[in-house]
Amino acid sequence: MKNSQLYKGSLNTIIMKLLEENGKMYGYEITQKVKLITQGELNITEGALYPALHKLEAEGLLDVEIEKVDNRMRKYYKLTETGHKETVNRLSELEDFIRNMQSLVNPKPSLEF
Amino acid sequence: MKLTTQQIDQLYLFTRQHYVEYYDLQTELVDHLANAIESEWQQNPKLTFDEVLNEEFKKFGVFGFVDVVQKRQAALGKKYNRLIFQHFKTFFKVPKILFLIVMTFTVFLIFKTSIYSDYFLRAITVIYFGFICYKFYESKKIKKAQKNTNKKKWLLEEIINQNVASSPAFIGIFHILMQIILYAEKYFLNDYWIFSISFLIVLFGILNYILFKIIPSKAQTYLEQTYPEYKLENL
Repeated sequence: MKNSQLYKGSLNTIIMKLLEENGKMYGYEITQKVKLITQGELNITEGALYPALHKLEAEGLLDVEIEKVDNRMRKYYKLTETGHKETVNRLSELEDFIRNMQSLVNPKPSLEF
Repeated sequence: MKLTTQQIDQLYLFTRQHYVEYYDLQTELVDHLANAIESEWQQNPKLTFDEVLNEEFKKFGVFGFVDVVQKRQAALGKKYNRLIFQHFKTFFKVPKILFLIVMTFTVFLIFKTSIYSDYFLRAITVIYFGFICYKFYESKKIKKAQKNTNKKKWLLEEIINQNVASSPAFIGIFHILMQIILYAEKYFLNDYWIFSISFLIVLFGILNYILFKIIPSKAQTYLEQTYPEYKLENL
C-alpha cells in the first residue's frame, strides 16, 4: 500500500464504505475496486486486506456468504446491521480527521495576530 | 482463460505447502489467487500458470500467508472469547442467577460448618487437576487421529475442541487454588473470605461447564455460522 502508515488506520473504514455501496463483495474484488477508484494510486495489499476482513467479521460487523463460482468456492462479505451503523460512525470520524488534517496542513490565514 | 479444476486443486496444494492448514482460509486464498491469475492472463496470456502464481504469491510479502493465518487465529480466538462471555452473562440473569446464588450458599455452608473444609478444597483441586490432564490427553488423541485422516480442518472447531485444556490460563488458576489451600487457616476464619472463595469456586465451575459442555454441544451451530462452507462440505 502506498505510504502505508498514513492509510493503515483507515483500511477498515475503506472496506466498510465499499461494502455499504456495493452490498456484498469478495476479497479480490475489493482490492480491484480500490485500485480502480483511486486510479491505481492506492493498492491494498493482500497481507493487510484479509486480516482486516477477518477482524471485522469477528467483531460482528461483517457477515459471510459462500457461493460456488466456476469450479471454486467464493467467500463474500457483507455488512451486518451493527456494521451498517458502525460505518456511519466511522465515516464521520474519518471526515472529521480529513477536515482537521486539512486545516493543520493548510491553515487559513487568520485575522488575529 | 479460466482455471481448470486441476489447477484449482494445485492451488489448494500450494496453500497447504505454505502452511495454511485450515480449509476455510485455504478456500479464500485459492479464490483470490485464481482471480489474480485469471486477470493476469487476460493481459499476458503467454505466461505459464506457475509463473503467474509465483508473481501473485510475492504480493503477500516475505512471510507469505503466515501473517494472514496468525491474524485469522487471533480474530477467531476473540470470537471464541466472546462466545464464552455471552454464556457467562446468562448466569447473572433470571433464572440462572438463582442457581448461582443457591450454589454459592451451599458451598459457603459446607466450608463454614464442616471441619473437613480444608480437605474439601484440596479434593476439588486434585479432581480438577485430573480432569484437565484427561482433557489434555483427549485433545492430543483427537489431534493425532485427525492428522491421519484427510478430514478438513476448521480453526474454530480446533479452538473449541482442543485448545481449551492446553491454555496457559489453567496454570494461573491452579496457582490461585494452591495459594488458597496454603493460607486456608487464615482465610477460613473470616466469613467474608469464606463467602468470596465460595463464590469464586462456583463461578469457576460455571466457566468450566461453559468451556467443556455448553460450547462443544453447540459447536455445530457455531461452525455453520462462522463457515457457510462448513454445511456444504459436510452434507
